[in-house]
Amino acid sequence: MPGLLDYSIWVLCTLFEAGVVICAARRGVFRRYLALNLYMLASILVSIIRLKILLAYGFGSAEYMYCYYYSDLLLTIGLYCALMTLYVHVFEDLGAEQYVRLGAVLLLLGTAGFSFAIVQQFSTKILSHFVVEVSQNLYFVGLVLTYVLWGAILKLRETRTRLIQLVLALGLYFSLFAASYALRNLYPGSRGVWDYVTPLSGCILPLAWGYAFWQVPEEARTVPAHLVAVPR
Amino acid sequence: MSRKLVVVVLVMLVLVGAMSLKTVVVAHGDGSVIMANGGAPLPPSPWKNGGAPLPPSPWKNGGAPLPPSPWK
Repeated sequence: MPGLLDYSIWVLCTLFEAGVVICAARRGVFRRYLALNLYMLASILVSIIRLKILLAYGFGSAEYMYCYYYSDLLLTIGLYCALMTLYVHVFEDLGAEQYVRLGAVLLLLGTAGFSFAIVQQFSTKILSHFVVEVSQNLYFVGLVLTYVLWGAILKLRETRTRLIQLVLALGLYFSLFAASYALRNLYPGSRGVWDYVTPLSGCILPLAWGYAFWQVPEEARTVPAHLVAVPR
Repeated sequence: MSRKLVVVVLVMLVLVGAMSLKTVVVAHGDGSVIMANGGAPLPPSPWKNGGAPLPPSPWKNGGAPLPPSPWK
């Protein structure tokens, strides 16, 4: 059963997500980064629904479990769409939007097909297995895509600071979850620590995106090569 | 046309890379799942009912090779 600290982290994360939308709206970039803001709004809505179900049915209930995993798939697809719009922003000067969209649809279908091929072996609860499997696989696809996008930013010498900040925040977010998952399996004795680290990692993305919208002006420029150059 | 084929090849490469990464990360996992959206407390893994150790697979009785599937 979640304690006070769990609820506090959850509320804090939801407040940060609301902060992203407010910052984007106040800076007049809500529509420019529409997918990112819609993802944050969806995440807030899902948090409210999850809380209502958690309070109504309890933490160990099947209702909360189904609500959590099914809504997580929707949010992961939303995050995937948000990532794809970042690709569109980076490649818009090359006029490659249609290829990015084609790639995004193919990758989503490929991930769903691959996941279905894996869960086919389960004779029961095939839909639930499929939902969790797609969510997991899409998460790793997002992780790889973020690093590919960072490579493209370096290669194309993209200089828009806000865009760089948004992509790097996403990379950090995905990497933190993968790292905490791997460390949790390496050190199963410290499971109590990871129970807090994982939800806290969820605060990183809204915090960094909120900062990018509020503090970094749209016209700010950075040379990405300077970010990765090692001083000698 | 060739650009579309390049997109297809890139998509397949990303998919293979992502699945390989997943295999590496979850290879020694305990069956729990990575969920990365929001700060809601993670419910128990849907694949585990209780903390009891997993029994041996019911499909293996001895070391004899598996016969062909009766459903085909």
